[in-house]
Amino acid sequence: MRRPSDFCFAHFVVMAGLASGSWQVFFRVQRILLLSVIVLLPGTPLQAGDLKLRLIDSSGGQAQHLSSETVREIFFMRLSSWPDGSSIHVFVLPDNHPLHIRFAKEFLGVYPFQLRSAWDRLVYSGTGVAPTTVESVEDMVKRVESTPGGVGYAGE
Amino acid sequence: MKSLNTMVSLRYTAYKATVAVLSLLGPVNAPALEWRNGDWQVHGFLSQGFTYTDHNQVFGTSEDGSLDFREMGLNGSVKLLPNLLISAQGLYRDAGASDDMGTRLDFAQVDYSSPLLDSTLVLGVRGGRVKVPFGLYNDTRDVLSTRPSVLLPQSIYFDTLALRQAMISADGGVMYSRYTYGEHRFGLELMTAEPRDGTGGATVFLTGIPGAQGELGGRPMFIGRAAYEWMGGRGRLMFSIVDLDRDFRSASTVAPSGNIKVQYPLFSAQYNAEHWSLTGEYGWIDSQRKGFMPVTLKNTSENFYLQGEYRFTQAISGVLRYDVFHVDRNDRDGKSLSRMTGLPRHQFYARDLTTGVRWEFAHNFLLAADYHYINGTAWLNTTDNPDLLSGVGDSDWNLFTTMLSFRF
Repeated sequence: MRRPSDFCFAHFVVMAGLASGSWQVFFRVQRILLLSVIVLLPGTPLQAGDLKLRLIDSSGGQAQHLSSETVREIFFMRLSSWPDGSSIHVFVLPDNHPLHIRFAKEFLGVYPFQLRSAWDRLVYSGTGVAPTTVESVEDMVKRVESTPGGVGYAGE
Repeated sequence: MKSLNTMVSLRYTAYKATVAVLSLLGPVNAPALEWRNGDWQVHGFLSQGFTYTDHNQVFGTSEDGSLDFREMGLNGSVKLLPNLLISAQGLYRDAGASDDMGTRLDFAQVDYSSPLLDSTLVLGVRGGRVKVPFGLYNDTRDVLSTRPSVLLPQSIYFDTLALRQAMISADGGVMYSRYTYGEHRFGLELMTAEPRDGTGGATVFLTGIPGAQGELGGRPMFIGRAAYEWMGGRGRLMFSIVDLDRDFRSASTVAPSGNIKVQYPLFSAQYNAEHWSLTGEYGWIDSQRKGFMPVTLKNTSENFYLQGEYRFTQAISGVLRYDVFHVDRNDRDGKSLSRMTGLPRHQFYARDLTTGVRWEFAHNFLLAADYHYINGTAWLNTTDNPDLLSGVGDSDWNLFTTMLSFRF
């Protein structure tokens, strides 16, 4: 899905080059940008051999039909009930777990530190609860399946 | 030299205490305190700071090295219904003469929200003792892990001045809404509350009368915060405003009664990349004091900082910041205020260049340290620094502060 990229910010450098009227800088930056696209693109991991990430939930698939922004709101702990009014229970792996990092980046389009800081702000201002942390993918699958309204992620 | 020795020995004691605490808690990865699949949760934090300054005092007698900086909190939240949350937090805080209130009720609130329009819109209300929604850091500013450095930028988040208490939490209600549209997210919070300006020396600070005896009353304060987030918080823009209009009824025959009006608008911006964040906030405090002097006193300050953070690893990050406070934005070098009051110019500005590191050395443990080079004394506490009242005080000074924190 979405992949965090700082690429758009490169335009500021181009614009700065233009503004200063230095065409030499502009062309040099342009060349570096083009080169980096060529160099970076094939290097972008397509994870052919990696696990494919998927959302899991206790009802066996209602989360799959949610829009990506709704999924993001759920994992940021800013949405507490499913469309049918029942409670959402969010499960996550530890912040430094490779699958959690991938889920944050590839599924939610954010970095793990952003999730952590959002959860901290909720917990210590009393305006929300933290997600339940499980230690392994097996635990994740078990807990999500056995908890009504549970939602989490796994690799397959 | 003596103070350096004290500092070294204090640091050694702190180090020994840290080692002792760590060996007790050791590698135990304590599970979160939660029940009923996370519907009932208990969280807390425990932080101990150390402050050293070469001139001027911050949080106790910091010129000799001060351990008078402690923050502890314990909170519980219960989700009674899917969209009904009850939560409360007790807070103990000690920060030299800047905070001697000890234990207090930080928040105790009921929150109800309702998702609408396919869950893209959430409307909610919150009531009780609620945290003041202001800027990027105010809501959880007593928790080290939510701060970029040991000390927040003092131009905006005063920790030494008595205005602090009125900014932390208040008794009233908040209406809020959140709307998500693709990569765009909008939030709005509107609060009306009775400010806690009778506590923590806020009365003296607001009226400007030393040792003011009396009560502040009048209409409740209004606070608003509008936020825009792009790509789940990659980019964040915020506008917050506090509007305060209080009447002071003097209880003494010497000091007059009067009225204080304060408006504090604040603009905030943040960009979060994978390894770095860039943050800036700019605001001003517009104040008007009537009745205390033959003339109405009007003043507009200027408060801003620019801050860069870099995450070297997941556990270690660094921060660099330039933070500026001008008491009067039309008198940035304090020249005319100095002429008017007879006090040195450096009491009307403070420019703070800060560099700091944060190290999450074990799960839920954080060690942070920052070094500040400060020009000006505008945000220093006069109880910790009585010399300032008689015009003494050093305009250029250095501050080193470190804090060890555990949270769960």
